[in-house]
Amino acid sequence: MTHTQEQVLELKNVRKNYGKFTAVKDISLTIPKGSIYGFLGPNGAGKTTTIRMILDIIKPSAGTISIMGGSSALDVRHEIGYLPEEKGLYKKMAVNAVITYFAMLKGMTKKAAQTRTDELLEKYDLNDFADALVETLSKGMAQKVQVLSTIAHNPSLVILDEPFSGLDPINQQVLETLIRDMADNGQTVIFSTHIMEHAERLCDRILLIAKGQKIFDGTVAEAKSLIPRRILLETRGSIDSLQSLENITEVSKVPVEPGLDPSYLVHIPKEAHPQDILKHCFDHNIALSRFEYAEPSLHDVFVHLVGDSAWERRL
Amino acid sequence: MRIVRLIAWREYMENVRTKSFWAGILMVPIIFIGIFFVQSKLSQVTPTRYYLLVDQTGRYEQAVQAAIDLEYQRKILQDFISYLLDNRKETDLRLTAANTSSAADQLIDDVGADEVSALNEWIVNGGLDFALTMAAPYLREDAPPFVHPPQQFIAATLPEGINDSDSPDEIVEQLRPYLSGEREILVDGRKGEVFALILIPTDVDNYITRPNTMPTQSSNPRIGIQYWGRNLTDTRLPNAIERSINREIRRNEFVKNGFDTTVVRNIQRTRLPLSRLDPTAGEGEEGFSLADAYQQFAPIGFVYFMFIVLMQSVQYLLSNTIEEKSNRIIEVLLASVTPGELMMGKLLGIGLSSLTTIIVWISTLVMFLLFYQTPETQAITRILEVIFDSELIPWFIFYTLAGYALYSGVFLAIGSLCNTIKEAQILMMPMIIMLLIPLTVMPFVVMDPNNTVFRIMSWFPLFTPYLMMNRAAANPPMVDVIGTTIVLVLSIVFVLWLSGRVFRQGVLRTGQPPRILELFQLMRRGE
Repeated sequence: MTHTQEQVLELKNVRKNYGKFTAVKDISLTIPKGSIYGFLGPNGAGKTTTIRMILDIIKPSAGTISIMGGSSALDVRHEIGYLPEEKGLYKKMAVNAVITYFAMLKGMTKKAAQTRTDELLEKYDLNDFADALVETLSKGMAQKVQVLSTIAHNPSLVILDEPFSGLDPINQQVLETLIRDMADNGQTVIFSTHIMEHAERLCDRILLIAKGQKIFDGTVAEAKSLIPRRILLETRGSIDSLQSLENITEVSKVPVEPGLDPSYLVHIPKEAHPQDILKHCFDHNIALSRFEYAEPSLHDVFVHLVGDSAWERRL
Repeated sequence: MRIVRLIAWREYMENVRTKSFWAGILMVPIIFIGIFFVQSKLSQVTPTRYYLLVDQTGRYEQAVQAAIDLEYQRKILQDFISYLLDNRKETDLRLTAANTSSAADQLIDDVGADEVSALNEWIVNGGLDFALTMAAPYLREDAPPFVHPPQQFIAATLPEGINDSDSPDEIVEQLRPYLSGEREILVDGRKGEVFALILIPTDVDNYITRPNTMPTQSSNPRIGIQYWGRNLTDTRLPNAIERSINREIRRNEFVKNGFDTTVVRNIQRTRLPLSRLDPTAGEGEEGFSLADAYQQFAPIGFVYFMFIVLMQSVQYLLSNTIEEKSNRIIEVLLASVTPGELMMGKLLGIGLSSLTTIIVWISTLVMFLLFYQTPETQAITRILEVIFDSELIPWFIFYTLAGYALYSGVFLAIGSLCNTIKEAQILMMPMIIMLLIPLTVMPFVVMDPNNTVFRIMSWFPLFTPYLMMNRAAANPPMVDVIGTTIVLVLSIVFVLWLSGRVFRQGVLRTGQPPRILELFQLMRRGE
């Protein structure tokens, strides 16, 4: 089935209270069809609660959710694939049986589900484990099987809650490829993570969330543009002349180990060019032992927006 | 409905594929058949017991011997009645003594009504030989020959060196090693343990008590006839001897007072039968037969069976839900199916597992009865035929299904709130106690099924399946049947609805099970 709606998902002022505790505070967002969307935030930020509300597993205390044109995910459940944060499968079932079973629960006929299961096992090198019981698999392998169970019915919308946790680097790479493949195939993928690198590599758009509140919603580039660019300088010379430059908003000294050259963090606006700073240093004979310019990471963005302490405490 | 079927089928297959499932359900018939064999063997292997008799009066030895003989005849009579019940032609359990013309049935009824008189009649008429001749026309052609039971009590002679004219205390002291099992006596060249010593001292008549005389007060426990034996719980021999000697004493008293003992004995054997009649039965069928007795007591069996089946089902349900919850599968399921579908699928799947259990049990019983044909199993078959012919089966099916729907809803909710079986056991304890209440009153319900207390209890939905099944054979008032059924069905709907609310909240819960107040909040929120 295809959807003409441009937006796959829309949340308007969604809130979830547990007694006096508010787990999610008035979150609004829209997710375009075919995009890879990341929910980013530390543990306990409200990502899983938001996902559960999207899936209609729990009801929001306030606000509305529109998913694939309907008001409840259960109405379009056959078009959604969901991998929860707490992963688990029927331990006594064989790998192929469990994938087929979940595909059938999502509306596939037995024959179609079995064919699709065989395809997936072949594609992801699990053929040798087709008849093995789930309880005999390693944790990473079982997680791989669960991911396949999630996507076996070719869902239009795939929601993955912390899909990378528990996977080794090779399988993390496999999963990243799988997510890209799905997006290329026109499927919308939402995943949550507290590891920013995955989101940075994969996501078209992200939601930054902390303590149940939306901090940011937009593209990765937009997120990065929220904070000034920074250049790290290391020199024994004087950098006082830098203060006269128009394009510098702030210069601060970075504490370093004794014996090392002094370090400075130079903040420049987004329209400024780092080469101008470098040229200035050459022109004023400032002997540099280090000149480092890097794009801010999503982690930097998050720390800038929320504060480092919030992140570390949660982790 | 497709989803419900799919979930139910997976639940069912997961259960029936495991070895533990089959081990569990086959254990029950194996244990029952084992008990049957052990009991049947035990009844056949009662050992022969040797006794010593010292009658210092010289007047009661015959009475003791008569008692032993009478006991043996009683054993033969009882065995013969069993033989007759098992081997007579066209056994119809619906017949009563009043409407049968068979001499065999009359004998059975006589023994049932007054065994003492029947035993006298039996001996007077010539005992087993006469009975076999009399019963021959009523026996099946393929009936096996009657097997004599072995002698139960055999007299042994005093060991050498013990003089029966010594004082009773001396005799007891000398025989103490034999009585305590330290030494054995020789009987017909074979060694054996002494089961009992019957010692009748010379002054025994001094202890005879009569009406209007005070019994002899003594701190000495060795008064009257002394019966010494290590096994004092087997009362057959001491009772028979006491009866027989007292009969002899009474006979002497009759003679002393000028009565004709034959007339007295005939008077003692005079009796008037009492017919137990059921006013609700049709004309000519009001007599209370053996079949009626079986049917009246059958609900107890059904209730026990129902209890075992329901307990087993809810255990499956509970452990299955906890497993799914602890395996973290529940969240994936809840994103794929509605809680209602999941719950109904589980109820259906586990229900099917229970049905399989019942079918296996019944099939095992039928196979056992078909392939192991003994008088006992044939008797069981006939009893089952009577029960299955009765109107109790539809009641049993209805109340088992209703009980399952009601209790499973409650247990499913409990399962959804717990992370481990240990937690569940604490929460389910009050529920189990609740379910045991109707079982404890069961024998009283059979005696007085329409008692006001039991009628009121029947209206409490958790008790209804058990109590109404228990009362089923006694034609409970229609208001009770219809009223309790309506309340029960409404309760099932309510409990399943409420369980659905708790289930939905409970399955995603982590940590400790909720306290009572939290539980009410869960029910109220129920989102």
